[in-house]
Amino acid sequence: MKWESSYRIIKLGLTNFWRNRWLSFAATLIMTLTLLIISTFVILTLVIGKPTTSIRDRMDISVYFQDSASIEQIVGLQRQIAARADVKEVKYISTEEALEKFKTQQQGKKVADLINPEENPLPRSLEIKAMVAEELDTINQFISQNQFQPIIHNISYQDNKKIIERLIAITSFIKEVGWLMSGVFVLISILVIMNTLRLTIFTRKDEIEIMRLVGASDAFVRLPFVIEGLLYGILATFLAIGLVW
Amino acid sequence: MIEIIGLSKQYASIQALDNINLKIDRGEFVFLVGPSGAGKSTLIKLLVCEERPTSGKIIVADRNIVKLSLKELPYYRRKVGVVFQDFKLLPQKTVWENVAFALEVCDVSQAEINDKVPKILDLVGMLKRRANLPHELSGGERQRVSIARALIHHPKILIADEPTGNLDPVNAWEIVDLLERINRMGTTVIFATHNKSIVDRLKRRVILMKNGKVVSDRVKGGYAI
Repeated sequence: MKWESSYRIIKLGLTNFWRNRWLSFAATLIMTLTLLIISTFVILTLVIGKPTTSIRDRMDISVYFQDSASIEQIVGLQRQIAARADVKEVKYISTEEALEKFKTQQQGKKVADLINPEENPLPRSLEIKAMVAEELDTINQFISQNQFQPIIHNISYQDNKKIIERLIAITSFIKEVGWLMSGVFVLISILVIMNTLRLTIFTRKDEIEIMRLVGASDAFVRLPFVIEGLLYGILATFLAIGLVW
Repeated sequence: MIEIIGLSKQYASIQALDNINLKIDRGEFVFLVGPSGAGKSTLIKLLVCEERPTSGKIIVADRNIVKLSLKELPYYRRKVGVVFQDFKLLPQKTVWENVAFALEVCDVSQAEINDKVPKILDLVGMLKRRANLPHELSGGERQRVSIARALIHHPKILIADEPTGNLDPVNAWEIVDLLERINRMGTTVIFATHNKSIVDRLKRRVILMKNGKVVSDRVKGGYAI
């Protein structure tokens, strides 16, 4: 095909687009909306998914001891835990260290002054880090054995676990809704664009008939519509990019 | 030039064409007459490959056009010019643009278009009105433009389906005169019409159709139903 013909075909496509500008506008808008919805959900899953994994990775188990627990009992447990292959690090936090940590965390707030070294209610604890986040579960099971219960006041893992599971549930919910909405909108935009092109074909019925009559090559009959469709896509993409920005 | 052998066309329950056999030579001027519903329009649709017959052959220039593939079809259509009662001009294009359009959509270069269009417009006597839109023209002038468009590919055959149907007698005669001139230049003309006076005056070959059949085929005939 000569370049002159390509130029004419593109021109025909653009003319169609302009002649049905309101229809074209509607089709482009629907497509923009579809792209926007898809990208919104992709961004949402990324935004929510990232902290979930980082929280998971940073997660540890803190074992808080009863005040009645003796140092020997605590050290005994610490040794047993440290001996496990899946444990990376076990750190003992004394009441003094706990207080220091509390003060730095609450710095500048009034609560920071509520506790003083003389009257320190903070419990002693062990901070356990696992090699892999997934193994925290088995470590937790190990510590939860009945034999240790008398000295343990609380295990933090259970609380964190709930939060993390909820986060994961929210992310997967958003993902599912995202898929569903994207699917629905993709379907709608396909239908709208099909309808728009059908209307364009209908309004140009006479022109197409004459084209066929005078022996127009297939490219001239079909490609203008392809170009019109492409134009919806390109315009919608730019609009969506602009709006997401 | 054109040979039709055992041509039949069936629409649902209507037998539009029933075993038509015809031979039209190169350079002939043929009238196709008959009452409405006789099958003239169906025959023309089959000749320009707008529809396919139920059975039979149409041989044009040694090729059975019934068997043409979709790819070959545009090239065949360029060899056959068609003119209609309702002109089929594009209303938003000027006379020049309407004729040039037929070349534009067939991969013809702009230089060739600029060369061909004025010649053909001159032939039909419409060069002076090249910048006018169809609604600014009389019926006869519009038909001239549509004839110019049909001739732009230099077809071997020109098929006119009631070309004078929408025209007053003066304009009608001008169109007939133009078609005769085109025929004298070597183009085979097939002229479907209801107009008795034209058929009677010209004394050309007349093919009479009725109920999908060729009833009579007379050289130098008149209009008789």
